[in-house]
Amino acid sequence: MKDSCSSISQLLERYFDRQATDEERSLVERHLPVCQTCHKRLRALEGLRKAIKTPVDEALKEETFPWVWEKIEREIRLGKKPSWQESVRSWLDLSPISRKKVWIPAVVTGIILILVASPLLFFKKPPSYLERSVVEYVESGVYNVMVYESEKAKVTVIWLFEGPQNESPAS
Amino acid sequence: MKKRTPLLILVLTLFFAFPPMAPAQVQTRLRVIEASNVGGVIDPSLKDLHGQLGSLFRYTSYRLLRDERLNLSSNQPASVPIHEGRSIEITQVGLQANRVELRVRIRRDGADLLNTQVRLSPGRTVLIGGPKHGEGVVILALSANF
Amino acid sequence: MNDREAELISRCRQGDQDALKEIFDQYHKKVYRIAYGVVRHREDALDVVQEVFIKLFRSIKNFKGKSAFYTYLYRLAMNTAIDHSRKKKKTAFLSLDQEGGFQPSDGYEKRPDHIAAQKELEGKVRWAIDQLPQDQKATLIYREIEELSYQEIAGAMGCSVGTVMSRLHYGRKKLQDLLKDMVKGREGE
Repeated sequence: MKDSCSSISQLLERYFDRQATDEERSLVERHLPVCQTCHKRLRALEGLRKAIKTPVDEALKEETFPWVWEKIEREIRLGKKPSWQESVRSWLDLSPISRKKVWIPAVVTGIILILVASPLLFFKKPPSYLERSVVEYVESGVYNVMVYESEKAKVTVIWLFEGPQNESPAS
Repeated sequence: MKKRTPLLILVLTLFFAFPPMAPAQVQTRLRVIEASNVGGVIDPSLKDLHGQLGSLFRYTSYRLLRDERLNLSSNQPASVPIHEGRSIEITQVGLQANRVELRVRIRRDGADLLNTQVRLSPGRTVLIGGPKHGEGVVILALSANF
Repeated sequence: MNDREAELISRCRQGDQDALKEIFDQYHKKVYRIAYGVVRHREDALDVVQEVFIKLFRSIKNFKGKSAFYTYLYRLAMNTAIDHSRKKKKTAFLSLDQEGGFQPSDGYEKRPDHIAAQKELEGKVRWAIDQLPQDQKATLIYREIEELSYQEIAGAMGCSVGTVMSRLHYGRKKLQDLLKDMVKGREGE
């Protein structure tokens, strides 16, 4: 195989992807130290891979997948709709609850809980305007937007990211 | 006449107790700021924002480009040119004793680049920033006087 | 496909959610990597993961076993992520007050403008990837993020190895043009 720059540059991506044969690999590795162009091209490929891959690796490192499986399970369950009789039956589970020893104290407990909880539920002070977000809505067809809020510092920051292209506003 | 007098007194009482309201206005301050890392000067007129800007951003220089005080009446937009062919349009859409709701649009060539609605209360500042300007970025600082 | 996998798939077909849980435990991180590679946004990537496994459970009967199971799953993940990324630009809300959130005394890494710069970079990469034709986008994600071999990518995409190489070459060329400034900076590293 000719060890010329044009033939090597065709092998470069295969070498970079570790898909080259042994012969191809040694050809490239002999060529790289003496060719700035191919060396630069390899660096550019590495830079591109880093730009694509690193954020993904970092995101996965910190990710705990909170409640993902539970949500999947629930969605699948909701997709299957039981008949109303099955729902009532499974909820009541009639055999133990039909006994007075169980359901009378349960009902009494329920009533007490309702009486205690109702002032909290029905007379709860509506949140003051300070507790709600300062930003009611934000729309942009051009920018990516991040909103930072601080009650303590009494400041809200709406930060706009421009795309690499010129603005082409979506009217 | 005697029968109408109590009615007249009632009407006059109501009139003076609840006089017709003038259209509600709120004074909103808009400052257009260029933030950059060129130089280390903070415009003296941004003294009140210095603490907030310094704690939020690492820019070393803040230059005031425009300072406008707008008296906004309900649903009457006020437009201010900002930079590079863009303008900001602010409309008061709600006013209470200690709160004003403003619709804020950044526009260019008649189209919206940003459309947002914010709620200002005493002491609250809203900063809208990010678009490039010169060597840095532009930051719009909005606050209201109650 | 090994026997264990074949058994899990068979149980999934019969509605066994425990089998799906095992598949989830084995593959959810890989699906997340593909999803994040496309959508570049944590919450969206988690939504995609959720959607993929729900779709998998509902469509597992369509898997005939002619290809490896992971190629079927990867294709499902890629298509779901690409569909998801067609939605409008996102707005992210952050509190400066919450625990772990930015505080004025924090170092540079947590300051809004630095996070903003990082997010802007992320935004540029996402934008650039979005400009690619679907096939080039998928090929690049499989190669650069999941490090699949050319053969594996060809299996996942139902094409030849030559086509994989061609898509990689033109996809990389286009991305390099779109991300000139970013990639140039890394050449000197």
